[in-house]
Amino acid sequence: MIPGLHLTRIGRDAFLLEPSRSLNIRDKTRLIERIAGELQQAKASCLYYDLAGLALIDPVYYAWLDALSRTMAAINVRMICIHMQPTAAFALSGFITGKPAFETALDISDVHFAGSPV
Amino acid sequence: MNRKLSEKLSALFSLKIGNISPLLAEPGKIHFGSDSSNLMDDDEIADLSAEFLSLMAELLGSKNPDDRQSPEFHALEMFFASLSHKILMRGGRVEEVVRYTQLLQYTLIEALEKDSGIPFTESRSVLHYFTGVFNELIMAVFRSYLEERERVLEAQAAELRETSTPITEIWDGVLTLPIIGTLDSSRTMLVMEALLSRVAKDHAEVVVMDLTGVQNIDSQVSHHLIQIVRAVQLMGSSAIITGIQPEIARALISLNIDLTGVTTRASLSDGLKEAFRRLGIQVSHKAS
Repeated sequence: MIPGLHLTRIGRDAFLLEPSRSLNIRDKTRLIERIAGELQQAKASCLYYDLAGLALIDPVYYAWLDALSRTMAAINVRMICIHMQPTAAFALSGFITGKPAFETALDISDVHFAGSPV
Repeated sequence: MNRKLSEKLSALFSLKIGNISPLLAEPGKIHFGSDSSNLMDDDEIADLSAEFLSLMAELLGSKNPDDRQSPEFHALEMFFASLSHKILMRGGRVEEVVRYTQLLQYTLIEALEKDSGIPFTESRSVLHYFTGVFNELIMAVFRSYLEERERVLEAQAAELRETSTPITEIWDGVLTLPIIGTLDSSRTMLVMEALLSRVAKDHAEVVVMDLTGVQNIDSQVSHHLIQIVRAVQLMGSSAIITGIQPEIARALISLNIDLTGVTTRASLSDGLKEAFRRLGIQVSHKAS
């Protein structure tokens, strides 16, 4: 059990990560270690991060997503953010300049589109 | 206001105002009744006159009838503002309300003169007072008219903005957005809001934005445009921009807009072909 996060296996090597309201991203180093540990133990290759409940992504939250996705890349796990809300996408597009370190998709079923060159 | 006039006005209205009420209905009948614009029935006109008379009586009976800030005067202003609004909503014109107010003034003065037996030609202060009050009331009518016009214009502008950015799902998962006319910041924000909501609602995988009809673009708008593309991509969809005119392309380059990661195609048709390719859809001629 990771505090503030629900990590659920949804396939042979894929996991779904759902943040809850109690997530404390100030503790990101420990959280990232715990997530990476569990995924490695389960030999996961894909992590879906569900942003459905997040109306706004500010620079602090983006830094958390960025750090998590870079760690995932380091352990060869593909991180895909799904269900990003229009308001969150609007806010995020306002302060990032390039492509984020993570992939994005509308839903798990659309992952074949994620990261395709645009 | 001098004490003498104040007392004079109170004395005028302490007369039998019940006698005046039917007379004051006449201007209403002339301008709003069934014989003219047919905007009000007789009962409504009678109520209108009675309400006006009662508000006027309250003003004249107040401590200082000349005080334009008094609650009594404000109530009278509100009465005319609401009348103006009502007439406009029923298809009447502001001229009718103004003419009604003027005729009401003459009728009131005439009725008071007759009732009191005082010739107002010898009492200019009373005439002067009523002229001042009614001028303010006509101003209230105009203010209400202008506010109403402004509301209508704003609503029309909003409607125009909405219809000028038609987002269409041209294929399952493919949205097209032809942008026509001049893009300013407020319109770009509106497009962004509408488009991102549609992407989420329709689960759109590809968005084709056609700029063929865009004539001008400035630095701020081009940044917003790129922001729309990035936001669409962040939601997990692809964005394709089509129909960039040579002038717009030149403007984008001279504004140092970074188009890295933005797919562009010459025409809407090419953009759609690209969208179909990404979705793995093949459109072909029917075999003969």
